[in-house]
Amino acid sequence: MNPGAKKILLAGLTFAVVYGLLNNVSSIFLLPSAPIISLRPQIALPMAAGILVHPLAGLITGFAGNMFGDAISGLGAFQFWNWHIANGLMGWIPGLVGYGGIRRIGTVREFGILQMSLVGASAAGVAAAVALDVLFIHLLTFPSSFPSWILPAFLTDAVNGFILVPVILLLARRIRLTLETRTILMITGLLLVSILATAGAITWAVLDDLVSHSAMVENFYIAAIVSVLLLIAGFIAAIIFVRKVTDPLASLAHAAQAVEQGNYDLPGLAGVSARADELGRLARIFEQMAGKVREREKTLQRQVDELKIIIDREKQAQDVSEIVETEYFRALKEKARKFRET
Amino acid sequence: MQCLFYTAAGFDKEDAMPEIIAIHSFRGGTGKSNTTANLACLLARQGRRVGIVDTDIQSPGIHVLFNLDPKDAPHTLNDFLWGKCDIGSAVYDVSRVLGAGKKDNLFLIPSSIRTGDIARVLHYGYDINLLKEGYQKAIEQFALDYLFIDTHPGLNEETLMSIAIADTLLILLRPDQQDYQGTAVTVEVSRQLDVPRMFLIVNKVPAALAGDALAAKVTAAYNCEVAGVLPHADEMMALGSSGLFCLAHPDAALGRALEDILRRITA
Repeated sequence: MNPGAKKILLAGLTFAVVYGLLNNVSSIFLLPSAPIISLRPQIALPMAAGILVHPLAGLITGFAGNMFGDAISGLGAFQFWNWHIANGLMGWIPGLVGYGGIRRIGTVREFGILQMSLVGASAAGVAAAVALDVLFIHLLTFPSSFPSWILPAFLTDAVNGFILVPVILLLARRIRLTLETRTILMITGLLLVSILATAGAITWAVLDDLVSHSAMVENFYIAAIVSVLLLIAGFIAAIIFVRKVTDPLASLAHAAQAVEQGNYDLPGLAGVSARADELGRLARIFEQMAGKVREREKTLQRQVDELKIIIDREKQAQDVSEIVETEYFRALKEKARKFRET
Repeated sequence: MQCLFYTAAGFDKEDAMPEIIAIHSFRGGTGKSNTTANLACLLARQGRRVGIVDTDIQSPGIHVLFNLDPKDAPHTLNDFLWGKCDIGSAVYDVSRVLGAGKKDNLFLIPSSIRTGDIARVLHYGYDINLLKEGYQKAIEQFALDYLFIDTHPGLNEETLMSIAIADTLLILLRPDQQDYQGTAVTVEVSRQLDVPRMFLIVNKVPAALAGDALAAKVTAAYNCEVAGVLPHADEMMALGSSGLFCLAHPDAALGRALEDILRRITA
């Protein structure tokens, strides 16, 4: 179902207003030493709008929302226009993946693509903002802007999106709760909790030092980068782990479907039945079962083939003539002929 | 001339000529009465007006399937054949088996179960023209679209009459060597009686054997179209003639096979 242009515009602008307001609210909670880039849960809004409504709705939410936020905060609607574009891209890119490709997430693969698109969109948005600044605005300075602007912008957007967008999609029932998605959601959740708890504990421990000693800030960001890399590595590891469990199940489902359609050759199951674990056992039992069904099928087929309808033609002719050559039959035939004609 | 031809052939399906369908089997126990009753019921449920005649005067039984108590049926086919009543008074509305409140589209002409009546008909016999006239009258009086004739197994004179009268003959057989030879004789005799349309129905087939392969074998052996292969149904056995299968189990494989048969024979 394609929403009309009016619906896209309306949804985009509505989300944009909320986004702009939230930009101003959440900037109260500033990240240490990154006074302008703040904790930004609202970045999930353009991303979700892009996925749930339309890529263009995501673009409008990010672009117009950022502009509106800047306008009411006193920064001016147009001063940081490159960041409007950055936020627009963050709504548009996940929309392209989520809207065009994956209507409803049901596999680990689809979930992985979605999450990576959020990280990728954050990177692409920040990269675009930086490039436009270098070309036209000339506000950033290198390398000092890197830890103070560019990196925090990417990290906050990527992490916020990574955590919140799946929650929104779950609430919007755009994630089908399959064995795969349940497992990956659970593992992702555990991963996030442990990494965020660690990062939070470290931040809390060095908070005083962070405020007073600017030299510590770079160390802090190194820790943040390591955390995000860990998050991504852990996520990829989780995907591999989950697929190790769910791929054999998919093979088993395919095999069951094949048997249901009368095909008992199950080459796709060989890999699974070679496993030493419970799934391997299940696959081996399934193969044996399919073999038995095939045997029974063959026996039945043979029974049909062997079924012979033996008719003694000589006796048949004799019995028939005994009936049809009677006077009664002749008379009957004549009467039947008569009333069939009328 | 062409116009007349179209009218006579029932060009308009709604005005199609009423059809007499006889159901026969060479041996007993093939499920003749059950199949007849179920086919009739399915047609009636499609809104057709259907009659059934029990010509199995020696061993009548189909009335049981329609819950028609012989006490409630003072007049029977026997009475008509002796000239004791007109055919109309031997016709009983049994539509209520189709559902509460249903009436006026399923009718039964039972045979007498009194042994004296049975012996008398068998002794004196009856004439095919009388029988044919009776059917014709019943068809007209009750505006029937189909009249099913449930016959006595074998090839006695009464059975031959039913075959001779029928527009369509359905011959039931089981996948059993005992049935094959007699069915071959029946098919040949019916051909000699010039039955316009003849189909075989293989009944009580073990579910695993029921299929196109068996139908093809039977078709080849008898050179006669197979209208259907009916699987043996435990549910039918469980009913034990206490009701009609097609109504009790409308979605069972047997019910679907019966509907396929109807589509073929009424095509």
